[in-house]
Amino acid sequence: MVRAKVTIKNPTGLHLRPAGILCKEALKFDKAAIHFSFHGSEYNAKSVLSVLGACVKSGDEIEFICEGEEEEEALDAMIKLVEAGLGE
Amino acid sequence: MYKGTSASAGIGIGKAAIVEDVQLVITKETVSDTASEIARFKAALEQSIEDTRMLAADLATRVGEKEAEILNGHLMLLSDPMLTGEIENSITKDGVNSEYAIEQVCNTYADMFASMGDELMQQRATDMRDIKTRMQKVLMGVASVDIASLPAGTVLVAKDLTPSMTAGINPANVTGIVTELGGRTSHSAILARALEIPAVVAVNDFLSHVKNGDEIVLDGSDGCVYVNPEPAVKEEYGKKRDAFLQEKKDLEQYIGKPTVTKDGVHVELVANIGKPEDVDKVLQYDGEGIGLFRTEFLFMDRTAMPTEEEQFEAYKKVAVAMNGKPVIIRTLDIGGDKEIPYMGLEKDENPFLGYRAIRFCLDRKEDVYKPQLRALLRASAYGNIKIMVPLVTCIDELREAKALIEEIKKELDEAGIAYKKDIQVGIMVETAAASLIADIFAKEADFFSIGTNDLTQYTMSVDRGNDKVSYLYSPLNPAVLRSIKHIIACGREAGIMVGMCGEAASDPLMIPLLLAFGLNEFSMSASAILKSRKLITGYSTKELQAVADKAMSFATEKEVAQFMREFVGQ
Repeated sequence: MVRAKVTIKNPTGLHLRPAGILCKEALKFDKAAIHFSFHGSEYNAKSVLSVLGACVKSGDEIEFICEGEEEEEALDAMIKLVEAGLGE
Repeated sequence: MYKGTSASAGIGIGKAAIVEDVQLVITKETVSDTASEIARFKAALEQSIEDTRMLAADLATRVGEKEAEILNGHLMLLSDPMLTGEIENSITKDGVNSEYAIEQVCNTYADMFASMGDELMQQRATDMRDIKTRMQKVLMGVASVDIASLPAGTVLVAKDLTPSMTAGINPANVTGIVTELGGRTSHSAILARALEIPAVVAVNDFLSHVKNGDEIVLDGSDGCVYVNPEPAVKEEYGKKRDAFLQEKKDLEQYIGKPTVTKDGVHVELVANIGKPEDVDKVLQYDGEGIGLFRTEFLFMDRTAMPTEEEQFEAYKKVAVAMNGKPVIIRTLDIGGDKEIPYMGLEKDENPFLGYRAIRFCLDRKEDVYKPQLRALLRASAYGNIKIMVPLVTCIDELREAKALIEEIKKELDEAGIAYKKDIQVGIMVETAAASLIADIFAKEADFFSIGTNDLTQYTMSVDRGNDKVSYLYSPLNPAVLRSIKHIIACGREAGIMVGMCGEAASDPLMIPLLLAFGLNEFSMSASAILKSRKLITGYSTKELQAVADKAMSFATEKEVAQFMREFVGQ
């Protein structure tokens, strides 16, 4: 299991469109479970509904937790995507 | 006669087709063969995804990508593994039918989103309910109303139109839209305007007064709706409709024509916009530039401030689209009636006289004003951007803003970032104080733009939103006219451009006076441009001098208005 923290940069936070982009990327990794923890709860990065439910705003810090064969690649991809501003 | 909110201009006359979403009755049933129930659910899910995909693609090609965005969001939700997983789980574990499982799971999410209390999240709650109904309808074999195949001459009547319903509207057959709910900015109103279908929304309890096939007459300009009207009423509106369509056609010949008066005075006819997307309409109606870009939209309906980068992209987009034509961008004008929760503004006892616009911005230079000005300067490398400072009352405010701009220019120079070196910095003249010292401002501002909405309000000391006193709110009041005349004269004397970006700039009663006073630039909503060009090109400023002199000689607003109405033949 690998984990890393990242701060949400894009202005609207994890709203529908950025959340969709995040999930699309997460779904590429069949061989890794990808979650993130925020305010003490864990959310499934492969589910738009789960991500939306976390209500993450711009400037918030979340911690990705990846587990499985592709955990390293998955974590790397998620961090890069968030740092690039999730398409906004 | 019924009254609602006008949502899209024009007259619609036709037969009512009531589009009612069937109230589905979802009952809990016990299912023993859960494997085949899951297969049933999966098939329905596939069908719903396919239907939504087709609706979205069709809407994107017929209307635009932006309009299809909501449906693309629905696609993401329908394909969510957590949602489908929970529904399947409920079918297997609880042994219930798909309809009931969908109802339970989707409602849980809809309620969760609704309870988050954020406007965007409310929209997600609506989305969840919309996709829930779509899946249930497929399962229950309930056909959605086929809006696409309504006969020609139909007036669509509904409680409210969901995105999935509006997507199917064919403007060739739908001559009007009436809904019980909604507002000017609701999804259905925006789409009606995009398709140019006359529409009236928020007509209280309308469905209990109308049945399928009733004759409906609606006026999307004033919000009036008639059900089975007298022949005389129908005839009157028929004429009104013909006149509306004829005028629209007549005005099209003014596209591409210069805005020059009969005696050769050239004025600029430009547009007010609130969002970068509004530029499409400006180009469509042949606007000669942007006279007022309100930047508030960038800061509203969100939970944090837009970054410099985000603002830069928005300003650049407009500058590039206008291709060298002037683009006047007003810096943030909030406070007063426009609240933005995350800015941490306290409630003002007297918001219009309080902590707002430039007063607020100069107090929040580091986190608010500097990022905006920097974004504006950077965007100025891509077009003819001019910066406009709102609500100034004394020269110090303009000086402080200009000093800040100079400071940022230096930073940009050091960083080697491009910007328009000779960028103009002007002011919005909208307070009584700025008007009185317009001669002082004219020496240091690169241009003036008269904001008549606030100027009238401040000069007359009247709240236009208050019905009891709103009769005082008219730019034709001698006090306001004198103020406007004075501002224009001071600007002209100093040799700077004087424009106007309030509603008065497109008022047929005001245009002759403004031409006579020597206004250089008229800024208005895009849809008013061609009509104003027609009016302006029909006048001679020399001949108007006598009209203006006469108008200025009256003591009351009533007399001025009556005189001007007679002059323009209204």
